[in-house]
Amino acid sequence: MTDDPNRNSPFRPSRRTALRLMGAGAGALMLPSAIGRSAALAAGADATGQLILAFSQEPTVFNPFMPHIEVDEGIHFAVFDTLFTFDPKGELYPVLVTEVPTVANGGISADGLSWKIKLKEGVTWHDGTPFTAEDVKFSLELPVDPDFRSWRTTGYNLMKDITVVSPTELTWTMTQPFAPMAAVLGSTWIVPKHAFDGVADRNSAPFNNAPIGTGPFVWKERMAGDHIRLEANPDYHGEGPFIKTLIVKYIPDLNVMYTQFKSGDVDVVGLQWITPDHYEEAKALPGKTVEIAGAGSFESFALNMMRPQFQELAVRQALYAAIDKQSIIDALYYGIPQVTETYMPQQSYYYNPDLPKHEFNLDTANKLLDDAGWAKGPDGIRAKDGVKLSFTNSTTAGNHLREQAQQFIQQTFKEIGVEMTISNLPPAVMWGEFWMQSQFDTCIVGMNTLLGADPDNSDYFMSANSAARGGAGQNTTCYQNPEVDALFKQGGETFVPEDRKPIYQKIQELIRHDLPLLPLYQYAVVKGRKENVTGPVPNVNNRIDTWNVNTWKM
Amino acid sequence: MLRYVLGRLWQSAILLLLVSFIGFVVLSLAPGGPLSQFALSPGMTQEQLDRIAEQMGLNRPVIIQYLEWLRHMLAGNWGVSYRDGQPVLKIIGSHLFATLLLMVTSTILAVSIGSTIGIVSAIRRGSVFDYTMTVLAMVALSIPTFWFGLVAIYVFSLNLGWFPAGNMYTAGDGSILDYARHLVLPAMVLALVDLAIWSRYMRTATLNVINQDFVRTARAKGLPRRRVLFKHIVGNALIPMITLAGLQLPTLLGGALVTETVFTWPGMGRLFLDSLGYSDYPVVMGLLMTSAIFVVIGNLAADLTIALIDPRVRLE
Amino acid sequence: MSLTDTAAAPRQFIRSRALRRFLSHKLALLGVFMVAMLTVVCFAGPWFLPYDELYIDLRARFAPPMTGGHIFGTDPLGRDLAARLFHAGQVSMSIGFAVMVIATTIGSVVGVVAGYYGGRVAAVLMRIVDAFLAFPSVFLLLVLAAFIKPGPAMIALIIAATSWMEVARIVEAEVKSLRDRDFVQAARMLGLSGRWIMFRELLPNAIGPIIVAATLTVARAILLEAYISFLGYGIQPPLPSWGNMLNGAQQYLQSAPWLAIVPGVAITMAVTGFNFIGDGLRDAFDSRTDLK
Repeated sequence: MTDDPNRNSPFRPSRRTALRLMGAGAGALMLPSAIGRSAALAAGADATGQLILAFSQEPTVFNPFMPHIEVDEGIHFAVFDTLFTFDPKGELYPVLVTEVPTVANGGISADGLSWKIKLKEGVTWHDGTPFTAEDVKFSLELPVDPDFRSWRTTGYNLMKDITVVSPTELTWTMTQPFAPMAAVLGSTWIVPKHAFDGVADRNSAPFNNAPIGTGPFVWKERMAGDHIRLEANPDYHGEGPFIKTLIVKYIPDLNVMYTQFKSGDVDVVGLQWITPDHYEEAKALPGKTVEIAGAGSFESFALNMMRPQFQELAVRQALYAAIDKQSIIDALYYGIPQVTETYMPQQSYYYNPDLPKHEFNLDTANKLLDDAGWAKGPDGIRAKDGVKLSFTNSTTAGNHLREQAQQFIQQTFKEIGVEMTISNLPPAVMWGEFWMQSQFDTCIVGMNTLLGADPDNSDYFMSANSAARGGAGQNTTCYQNPEVDALFKQGGETFVPEDRKPIYQKIQELIRHDLPLLPLYQYAVVKGRKENVTGPVPNVNNRIDTWNVNTWKM
Repeated sequence: MLRYVLGRLWQSAILLLLVSFIGFVVLSLAPGGPLSQFALSPGMTQEQLDRIAEQMGLNRPVIIQYLEWLRHMLAGNWGVSYRDGQPVLKIIGSHLFATLLLMVTSTILAVSIGSTIGIVSAIRRGSVFDYTMTVLAMVALSIPTFWFGLVAIYVFSLNLGWFPAGNMYTAGDGSILDYARHLVLPAMVLALVDLAIWSRYMRTATLNVINQDFVRTARAKGLPRRRVLFKHIVGNALIPMITLAGLQLPTLLGGALVTETVFTWPGMGRLFLDSLGYSDYPVVMGLLMTSAIFVVIGNLAADLTIALIDPRVRLE
Repeated sequence: MSLTDTAAAPRQFIRSRALRRFLSHKLALLGVFMVAMLTVVCFAGPWFLPYDELYIDLRARFAPPMTGGHIFGTDPLGRDLAARLFHAGQVSMSIGFAVMVIATTIGSVVGVVAGYYGGRVAAVLMRIVDAFLAFPSVFLLLVLAAFIKPGPAMIALIIAATSWMEVARIVEAEVKSLRDRDFVQAARMLGLSGRWIMFRELLPNAIGPIIVAATLTVARAILLEAYISFLGYGIQPPLPSWGNMLNGAQQYLQSAPWLAIVPGVAITMAVTGFNFIGDGLRDAFDSRTDLK
């Protein structure tokens, strides 16, 4: 995987010289696909065929700087380009820039504060207008426009003096070192400045519903509630596209989606994919390629550390030991997801493979609680010092598989004298203040805490980042550990991946020990496509199937 | 008459105002909200969510938000969707076709089949057919629509393979025949309840006509039985039928919502559930108002038709 | 007291005649039989089953009906479907009755007040009734249920909130027609309070239509619970209800159709039963039936 030292060495500055490098990947590597530009230039004009890609959610937000969800990025990747983005190995490759800026190539100053990027020449917007550094400057400034309803300001708010040196050159400085900046730029799609000229309210610009990009596909039409039609960009500056028409179809029901895949009406099954119970059958379908792909999210049983029940480590350990993870994965999820002990995807360069392995053992769990003085009361529920080992568990109502796992956990907890009451909520309530302000006892949650391949998720685990305690982040378990705080601080200011790796591995170790959330599994999904479709490749560092849609062929 | 009409119109306006207020307050006071969907995005923080809430004006008092919504609404501006920034009216319009296609087809099915059953039942009052249909109609009214949909999918789609299990058309096809194939199951399911109601109604209406003097006279004059019945029953039952259609609207809309869910039909019911899931309040409000307007118009039409026929109503 | 007696005499007469008519109504008796049978089975059935409705056994997932001692098979967690169905029946039917009580009470009060006072009071009350009626009930239910923590009591309240209007309309119409009858005029002249007249004189005389509406409300409530639980907004697992047993069944329609069929049949039977009874009662209380 990524820790092959020889592969990246030519691009990697020596540790002595590189004080600060781009934060995220294991170094900046140019992929052959992105280099072979001249050879691929003609492809867009020769694109053929129509490919139907199905999503079970509807993409509705087409301005990538406005609040959106992952399915929207399915369109963003097709219509727009980023400056550079992550490949499946977590390495950055250039898209709109000629090369990914590093200290070695002079793109980033030694102190990490001054940045310089050089853009490709001859790139045009879908409407024929030339793409220039002005567009990039506009795009980097748009998220911090106080009147604009922007998705996030993280990173952009640290940039200043964004200067257009020439139509293909741009520089800026950072007000402070910020290691995840590269990851932020890795999901920053560049939008055309001219689309906003003379627009009074950028929140309702016509562009937002008729996007113009530089990407491999041109926006054609949207049938709300049904599909979006995109056409090949004949002048695409990179590789591809090889498909003439890309239809992104919204099929809200996973069974219907699978049926249409089976019957051949859908070429590629996208987001929410094939349900695990159909995996065996799907694998045997003639003319289809069906495979399991790792995803960046992880499922966990989150504890609210402010509750008196969860103050003791022994309780958290006992609960963890009383979850029959393997049965949940094997029986309920048909063996598809991977057992994990951490939030870090196993594909990541920063993944810590040496964490202690969970073992399901009710005797261990009982013993832990007995030793800690939690004795069973007459009702069979354990209690200590007037605190009953009883709590509610919540998750999104309507997520059937998770609700099944939840009821199963409830049963094994009962066997060790722990009372868990289920109180599920509709998504709009569940993930509102209830989650953000830590109003829950425990939750089952699936989330991806990482931006691209960057290992920093201090917003989720640093003591100061609990909204319930007045913080600004998403540390909803209200986890507090000064050692973890110090490590996050150190990691955020360290730029060399080799130096960052031990820091973030240590953090994973501490969190695994403290168990503010009981890790269940890393997501894996069943992806399916027609045999003759090539190109779709899993990528835990980008959220959606279409990250490389320009290379898809059929 | 004019006074009566004006009075009813005025009452309808008040009614709609009340509906909008109840709907808006219920939505706004609910916990959670439109920002929940973003909470689990990588790197999302409370700070960012607060900023977006401020931008969208979600942290203002409910009553202010309502008055502003009402002001815009009265000016013909139904607001824009939180999800895609499109005008609510345009979004509803783009889902209207699918729902109308489904509702019109199923109403045609229900009225034609239901009326036939009703008329035959009335003519053969007390027969086995009449009795069976009475029982069947009652059972039909008791079957949960969605469950009937599931059974229909199980039998006709999964087992027999005659019709597709969902969606309005096959991706990439979309011929009329393709639409028709997709329409059969949901229209049949949605028609069931209405069919039962129509057959009951037509039975009563026909019985009334049969017992009237002019029918007896006509038959006594030797006119063919079928012609007499058809002419008089249809002639006499037509206006009340329109009334019934008006009154049936809320049931039909509710049924469409459930049917659309089971068959993933891309209409207003589906839009309603999606919008509710994302807390897209402007669209939810728009849909509530649209259905309320339909219902009020249906009621109004029913009342006015009755008033036209029966002058006593106007005096009350 | 003499007044209530005079009012009560014809009432008793109506009742006995109604009872006679009801007992000769075949469908109504069939309905009574169906409801009684379901009630007995749901409340007594669990004692005769070897399985607990909550006991999960992952090795026994998706057992088809009549295998391994599971008469209706098992669900995706290996729980006995029969045990769940019976407990679900207790939940669903209890909700149905709770809704009936709440909705009939609210509806009767609103109706009798509007009908007795008339004028502006009636106008305001009946416009509120219209407003509630103007929401298709599934819409209103979903909006409410989407934001309220779903428990059986809450679900019953929400369904009741969308089910009281019919009763209100019926009672209002009935009371309006009784308002100027002699016994009411007499009561007024005797100086009896409005509350007394409304609830002791008028309401009992409207009891026939109220009972009919109440019976149909049970049927309706069971259906509505099924709707919202099916859509995932109703009763939450692990507590079973007929509706939430169907939630998720669509996913297994091909591999485990009994998950969808069994609870659906139960719902249809219960609702049909109550509708038959309601129909029988309507005919029984409708004096014109004799003339037909």
